[in-house]
Amino acid sequence: MERFIADLVQGLDSGKIDRREFCQAVALAAAVYSAGNAAQAQTQRGFKIIGINHMSYTCPDYTKARDWYASVLNMKSEAIRDDGKRANLMFGPEPGKGGSFLVTRNPSSTASGSAGVKPGAEAVIDHICYTIPNWDEARVRATLKAKGLDITGRDGSLHVYDPFDYDVQIASAAEENAFRR
Amino acid sequence: MEGFVAKQVHDYQNGRISRRRLVEILTLAVTTTCAGKSAGAAEQSGLDAALVNHVSYTCPDFRKAADWYSMVFNLDQVGATARDVALPFGKKGEKPYGVSADDVPLTHIICRTRPLGASAGNGPPRRKANAVIDHIAFTVADFDRERAKAQLAAMGVKNVRDGGPFSVYVDDPFGYEVQIAGLGVTAICGAEARANCSEKR
Repeated sequence: MERFIADLVQGLDSGKIDRREFCQAVALAAAVYSAGNAAQAQTQRGFKIIGINHMSYTCPDYTKARDWYASVLNMKSEAIRDDGKRANLMFGPEPGKGGSFLVTRNPSSTASGSAGVKPGAEAVIDHICYTIPNWDEARVRATLKAKGLDITGRDGSLHVYDPFDYDVQIASAAEENAFRR
Repeated sequence: MEGFVAKQVHDYQNGRISRRRLVEILTLAVTTTCAGKSAGAAEQSGLDAALVNHVSYTCPDFRKAADWYSMVFNLDQVGATARDVALPFGKKGEKPYGVSADDVPLTHIICRTRPLGASAGNGPPRRKANAVIDHIAFTVADFDRERAKAQLAAMGVKNVRDGGPFSVYVDDPFGYEVQIAGLGVTAICGAEARANCSEKR
């Protein structure tokens, strides 16, 4: 920046630019520099995300959802957290080591601090996609059909509905990858 | 099983149990084993969800949402189109936290703007669900509630509220509730219960 200003001064002194042009150039430089600093600071302020901790799924009957996700996606219901209104269904890595869980809950069960279901929210999570490792198209389709589910989608990226018509996508790494869109 | 049967037969032959009792014991043992296998098979009959692949977040202005999630969680935006953009939880080539398999990609958020009834896959319009994901919680590194609140305030995030001692809730630009927590908040030790949880993490 110092070098840039020095060049501007030299230009002013030598008459290559007038006073007005000089002032405009310095003001512009200040604005750009300031914006750059702000962007950098903002980036540094954000959190380092590790993964999805959990998803809170509210439905008319949490047991029905619990049993469906346990059956179709082999999620494991944690018995000590099943209080008759909600259940925690674990999947992926171990709890505390990158694992996630799906909370199926009745409308009467709201987490402390949570506003619960907001009818007026402008945004919605319209589906969740789960990665199935060791993808075998025939096996995956046969498994879903054996559960009585109708399948849509394409090979490697399939959609089914859960008991409450929530759209559930299951996919292979090859078909659903942020860097291959 | 074989050893168990041998012992029952031994007891029977030595007169310790009657023939009827032997039959009862062995019948119970065989049917219980069979039921156990069936239950085990049922538990394993589904598909193993390894991780969330992506969360499909639909809102009126996907760019605004994407910019907010990028700012708060330091996420890059990749593969932008006129209607959506992906925000992976890491850089290309990285593996998800806690995952060693090569065929489990980084979780990502897809911020998109489209009608709610848009097709699910290549099928007919998406059904209207009778369930909702009312909030989503993200795990972040080195979480400390008070520090997190200060960070969020510095980023201009409003309506920050405590979610027990080990998490906070915020609203994104479209009023969607987002929870931020540390690794210690798990299916076993939730944000509220963790203070009294016997599992130390």
